[in-house]
Amino acid sequence: MRVTSMVPDVEYAVQQSQQNLSTALQQLSTGLRVNQPSDNPVASASMVISLAQSANVDQYTTNVTTVSGQLQTSDNAIAAVITSLNSAITLATAAPSSTITAANRQAIAAQVAGVLQNVISQANSSYQGSFLFAGSASSGAPFVAASTAYTSQNGSLTASSPLEAGSVTTVSDAATGQTFTYTAAAGDTVGDLESAVSAAVTAGTLSSGTSATINSSGELAISSATGLVASSTDSTLGLVSASGTALTNAYAYVGNSTVNKVQVGDSTSVATNIPGNQLFTSGTNVIGSLTTLINAIQSGSDSGIAAASNGISTAIDYLSEQRIPLDSTISRLSDQESYLSQETLTLTTQQTALVGADLATAATNLSQAELANSAVLAAASKVLPQTLLNYLAPG
Amino acid sequence: MASISSSLSTALQSLMADTGALQITNNNIANANTPGYSREVPEFQEVPPAPNATLSIGGGVVLEGFQSVRDELVNSQIQQETASQSAANAQLSSLQQIQPTFTTSTEDIGTEMSALFSSISTLSTSPTSSADRQAVLTAGSNLADAFNTASNVLSAQQAALNQPVTGDVSQINQLSQQIAALNPQVTTLTQTGQDGGSLEDQRDELLQNLSALTTVSITQTAEGPTVTTGNGTPLVVGNESFALSTTTGSDGMQHVLDSQGNDITASLTGGDLGGSIQTRDRTIPGLSNQLDTLANQFATAFNAAQAKGYDQNGAAGTNFFTVPATVSGSAAAISVALTDPAKIAASSDGVPGSNGNLANLSAVQTATLPSGATPAAAYSDLVYQVGSITENANAESNATAASLLQLNNQLNSVSGVSVDEEAANLITYQTAYQAAARVVTTVQALFAVTLAMGTAAAE
Repeated sequence: MRVTSMVPDVEYAVQQSQQNLSTALQQLSTGLRVNQPSDNPVASASMVISLAQSANVDQYTTNVTTVSGQLQTSDNAIAAVITSLNSAITLATAAPSSTITAANRQAIAAQVAGVLQNVISQANSSYQGSFLFAGSASSGAPFVAASTAYTSQNGSLTASSPLEAGSVTTVSDAATGQTFTYTAAAGDTVGDLESAVSAAVTAGTLSSGTSATINSSGELAISSATGLVASSTDSTLGLVSASGTALTNAYAYVGNSTVNKVQVGDSTSVATNIPGNQLFTSGTNVIGSLTTLINAIQSGSDSGIAAASNGISTAIDYLSEQRIPLDSTISRLSDQESYLSQETLTLTTQQTALVGADLATAATNLSQAELANSAVLAAASKVLPQTLLNYLAPG
Repeated sequence: MASISSSLSTALQSLMADTGALQITNNNIANANTPGYSREVPEFQEVPPAPNATLSIGGGVVLEGFQSVRDELVNSQIQQETASQSAANAQLSSLQQIQPTFTTSTEDIGTEMSALFSSISTLSTSPTSSADRQAVLTAGSNLADAFNTASNVLSAQQAALNQPVTGDVSQINQLSQQIAALNPQVTTLTQTGQDGGSLEDQRDELLQNLSALTTVSITQTAEGPTVTTGNGTPLVVGNESFALSTTTGSDGMQHVLDSQGNDITASLTGGDLGGSIQTRDRTIPGLSNQLDTLANQFATAFNAAQAKGYDQNGAAGTNFFTVPATVSGSAAAISVALTDPAKIAASSDGVPGSNGNLANLSAVQTATLPSGATPAAAYSDLVYQVGSITENANAESNATAASLLQLNNQLNSVSGVSVDEEAANLITYQTAYQAAARVVTTVQALFAVTLAMGTAAAE
């Protein structure tokens, strides 16, 4: 083939070698083989998925830390309650009327009341501003001192006064530990609410003697000698507030039964709370047992003290049972943390394999590219000046 | 019978022929670096002996002219490759500006999408935290911004490609006019048996420049080449050129019309014009549609999940994102509808502290959208498309560059000027000239001897 000029070949070779040099330099300086989608479209697309997984794993790890802290605090609170209950039983053992004076009994009753305060304090524990045992109503303390009566702000009510559809009225009973919730349907009246409260008493949700009636001022009064806490969102009733006698050792649960769950893995969620009513009032009524014990000690009823002590013993067993799934969850979270840490490592390895540059290879590539570039330039400097005219004698 | 005067005549012809050859060599050397120049070779012709001569001795040499050395086949291949390379370069240029938007960074769509779901997950651990709620709104807003930015980059690139379309059409018209002007001149030369020479070189160069703008089809006729676009729209017929024009279409884009006013935009391929139109009318709209679909379906799914829950005040969840009802324009218009963090429907039962519905919002991440993929997979596919199209354009550009180098080398091996070769020719013709001049000197001496015959000097 007739070769006329080497300039185009030299230009092409120089350009190619400089492009290789630039690529090698970029890979070494960024530590990445794939710096933009066109470098490797398949790896870039896979990276999008892998990075999304990494972000999830990072978030799950953060969630594990938060939830672990929350559950550990809950566990500690329950353990403290159990300790308090044990001390209450010890106090109860010393309380029978046959062995001590009435004055001493009152002193023991006061100590048991102190134990109750400790239990309430633990039941109202919070973690990072959220009350642990309030269900999802975590912005307010779940156990509130009960009053004998709550009255609506608005007066001039009659049984036929219409309630606001969708409004919610709740009555939390200190003695039963349960909460009666009434959601007004369209067309419901104050009379319907009164009947519903009466039905709840029959059903046992509210303690015997609890009633909702319209008083002489036309206000709705909800009352119970054993103590309750009421609230309403109804505009007809207005704000419902305590109007009766504040009871010293009676507490009503104003939280709810909701259990929140938090995702700590792609298909793993854990419950982050145990509602307070499940722990302290439902089934074995921990708070109720203590109140009963205080009352029995104060009244000098040996049989009452014995019964209340048994109730507290049962409550201790119950709380210990409740701790088992909680401790199990804490343990699972610890395992999950290890798994997530391994998963992070796996994903990082995967991402390095997808787009990362092996530094040794990148350095070798750069060195080779430099050598190739030098060779091309040296060759160009030799080839380009070559012409017959150089060898012809002037003139 | 040979005479001294006939020798002088032969030497004179030789001097003239060699002078001509030197002139041709000189012209070759002068144009060694002129683009499109085809080397010329002198055409020497032996002069036959005089018919009545008793002794048959050749009549010397005459320079008939010169011949430009061309290879029309390689020329045509170069035109095709030039069209392919220009098209690939036009696409590559736009795509390289689009690509960074879809490259993993701190604010690309994929990262912002992950950040949104992370913020939701954080909120699930403290559903009443106003700071965490605000973080969800901020993450949603960042995702909407990422969609807006990506959409704007695509739209801006699409609009920017109108500029090369009008510029290319204007250049095509100029080149067509110049080719049409050269055609009759070349035809006149060739019809009289002469070489087209520099005029033909100019025309070939113009055709090559035209190929860089759009794929053209060239048919040789007696009146010179007829040039049409790839779809047969005439640009040059004989000495007549047909101008293309541009007009703004209903889509706001520049459309190309033939001389009859027909819209030929969609049928133009190759060259900078074809590549620009391909990117503007097919590649970018394809990517935009994919982006709009993702934005629309993601926002719709997220809003649906939000509607399943209740906000901090116990009210049913309202739309989190504002997005158009139609897919088109969704990525550009998507925004966060909520301004109050309390409006995030975290609760599944209306109680403020419930986080039940956040699981529904999180589930959007792994839910299959109507497009058949999860949001991350749909975005991943978009990244693949951008990468793949750019990689193909880059590969095409590199491949045609290598191919063009080969073809140009092939053409240069036929038509290119070799300075070494010309230097050798220079010596050849110089030597021949010197020899012929020596003949003249010799003849002169012989004449002197002849004229001095019988004179004292001769004695």
